Amino acid sequence: MNTFKLMLCVAACLSNAQAAEIKIVTTTTDLADITRAVAGDLAEVSSITTGREDPHTLTARPGFILRARDADVWIRIGMELEIGWEPVILRDARNTRIRVGMPRHIDASDHVIRLEVPTQRVTRDQGDIHPEGNPHYWLDPLNGRLVAATVSERLCVLYPEHKARFEENLRRFERDLDTRMFGTALVDALGGENLWRAVAEKRLEAFMTEKGMADKAGGWYGTMRPHQGKNIVTYHRSWVYLTERFGLGGDLQLEPKPGIPPSAKHLASLVSDAKARKVRMILQEPFYTLKAAEFVAARTGAKVVVVSTMTGGSAEATSYLDMLDNVIRKMGAEL
Amino acid sequence: MAGAALFFAATQASAQTGDARVQKLEDEVNALKQQMAAIQEQHVRELAELKALIRKQAESPTGVAQTQATQGTTAAPPSLYDSLKQSVASTVPPSALQGIDLDLAVVLDMNFYHDTAGEGVGHLKQHLRGFGHHHASGEGHDHGFENGFNLRHVELGFTAEVDPYFRAWAMVAVDEEGAGFEEAVIQTTSLPYGLTLTGGKLKSGIGRVNRQHAHNWDFLDAPLVNELFFGHHGLAEKGVQLTWLAPTPFYLLFGTEVFNGDNAHSFAIGDSDSLPAHDAPRLWTGFVKAGPDLGPRHALQFGLSALAGRHQMVHEDEAFSDGDTAIFGGDFVYKYDAKRSHGHGDFVLQGEYFYRDMDLDGHGTWSGERWTAKQDGYYIQSLYGFRPRWRGGLRWDQVGLINDLRTPEEGSANYDASCRLAAMLDWKLTEFSLLRAQAGRGWYDTGDGREDAWEFALQWQVTFGEHGAHDF
Repeated sequence: MNTFKLMLCVAACLSNAQAAEIKIVTTTTDLADITRAVAGDLAEVSSITTGREDPHTLTARPGFILRARDADVWIRIGMELEIGWEPVILRDARNTRIRVGMPRHIDASDHVIRLEVPTQRVTRDQGDIHPEGNPHYWLDPLNGRLVAATVSERLCVLYPEHKARFEENLRRFERDLDTRMFGTALVDALGGENLWRAVAEKRLEAFMTEKGMADKAGGWYGTMRPHQGKNIVTYHRSWVYLTERFGLGGDLQLEPKPGIPPSAKHLASLVSDAKARKVRMILQEPFYTLKAAEFVAARTGAKVVVVSTMTGGSAEATSYLDMLDNVIRKMGAEL
Repeated sequence: MAGAALFFAATQASAQTGDARVQKLEDEVNALKQQMAAIQEQHVRELAELKALIRKQAESPTGVAQTQATQGTTAAPPSLYDSLKQSVASTVPPSALQGIDLDLAVVLDMNFYHDTAGEGVGHLKQHLRGFGHHHASGEGHDHGFENGFNLRHVELGFTAEVDPYFRAWAMVAVDEEGAGFEEAVIQTTSLPYGLTLTGGKLKSGIGRVNRQHAHNWDFLDAPLVNELFFGHHGLAEKGVQLTWLAPTPFYLLFGTEVFNGDNAHSFAIGDSDSLPAHDAPRLWTGFVKAGPDLGPRHALQFGLSALAGRHQMVHEDEAFSDGDTAIFGGDFVYKYDAKRSHGHGDFVLQGEYFYRDMDLDGHGTWSGERWTAKQDGYYIQSLYGFRPRWRGGLRWDQVGLINDLRTPEEGSANYDASCRLAAMLDWKLTEFSLLRAQAGRGWYDTGDGREDAWEFALQWQVTFGEHGAHDF
């Protein structure tokens, strides 16, 4: 009897081992959350960053190397965001399956809409310019949607036996995202895909009017709609995808050039620009110092809003959608 | 000039063929016109179809679902993802697609240095009692700083993935006297079981500082023990290295190396017929590094190393010695990541210890005698990011806690330790430039008794070219 129990136990353990989860490691928490939504319980997903740090600067530590060593799939933001640490992790992990260019190395930026792609040769005199464009693209919900589709598409190729599950999960995630973006009324009446198509063609308002739904805008779009055309100041150019998507002016930065700390001279001219453009809000991530923002706030009457742009970066940002929710709620309340 | 020639040739050609050619050209133009009209017509048709489709989709309340339902019967229009994918593909910058992956980085490193020692601290370090005995042939050029301005060699670094099997890098050091290889390395990228084989001239994986290039040091200069045991360039040798990343739940790396053994300080071969010949390779090393996973804020790593090789010395008056050197070392590093911007609040504590045992037999006029030395040294350093991009650091160096020397000339002797304290302040303006101030006080045991000296330095360093990633 005891032997039988033991055998059962062993069998159970073996079958557990056979139901091997797909181990996915992502560079950032937002990617991890989107991937979790797509892969569901088929994968064990973890992120290298915690959402609390500046994703540009990170030291490749032994723990990261182990996670890359054991990964079945690696997903990065790309566009050189992780250039200071991803190469070392991938080199030292000795996992040939997830080397750059391999099917198991997914660059989430492959099919996103890019902003600020330099049209001329860049020099470092311009600051920390990414030659492939501004890499903070996940703050555009449309890009979040495209990343989910990119991840799902690749997972379907890698694990065709789970194709139906991945696609079902993707549709659920897209439905959630669409509802948060436009509100239930619009999505039910017009379909999320159609709404996004209109957004991509820059004719959402016309589309809604055409359908007699102009007053039905809900969700994030509804929250931000009254603020279109307003200007804000941000610390780094990490918010341009958000300001562009919601029709805000986001060209004023505390940094004189990307990655270059605020100087007194720059802040002085920023104060007059901010006054001229009636800026009421200064936005920045929690890991930057507050001094420059407070300097400008004191001279313009603008309010400093510190909010995380990464999942896990603050108590409210428990998922990618909640992170965006939190950002937009705070902006809507303060603008 | 070329244009004129072409024009001339063209005129000639048309004159020769005459009307037949004109007729042919007219035919071609007409054909092209027809093609253009057909393409235009097709575009207009496609556009109309697309508009109709969008309208149809928009009119149905569940446009998405319907599209999917009809997928089986008619060719479905591309999904939003697919159509955006097409348009995005055309906007991917050419820079992302063109060129081969060869990274080039250049480091320029200058400083202003001043010390208060009579003949310079560089001279003192070469005459520390017990340590000043690297009289091998071909003494390496000295890199000790002299009072005034110093330009450390220019480092040219090339890195590339060679093919699906190997990567390679070369680090060329150029100074006013010429050029040399700091490193020239080939490394496997596709070996199974966590193995990596590295060959060429490489910096040994022992300890921590030894692997780093000068521009990555946390202080202006290397720790005393590294400099005295391995020289200014550290232990960099021709040979091969095999490392294995063990499949353990914590970080565990084993490495072993076979080198020629040409290090003037600990593993040298003398240029003399009176000395026995030893074929290379003459130096074997082994090291292990281990680190537990302490979560997102803390990182810890320990290392142990062992080295064994041949050593020969050429002394004055036809006296020679030949035998073995063994070195054992231990190192640790703890890093705290405060998760703020640009190293603000980050903290590092790091230390290394080395023990060297040299056991040599006399030759020539020292035939039948023995020359032995047992010595050690360590450093411990700490760094703190007190503002974004600003770090302060302290380093305590000590060599010769054990400093037992037995020579045929002087018999057994037990010399004092030498030590040094350095304070550092650096400002990384960007990833690519650094300004550093360093002040130090050293107490050195030289043959003339104890000498104290102050050292001051201002360092100015830039890197241009590719954005290098940082090792742990």
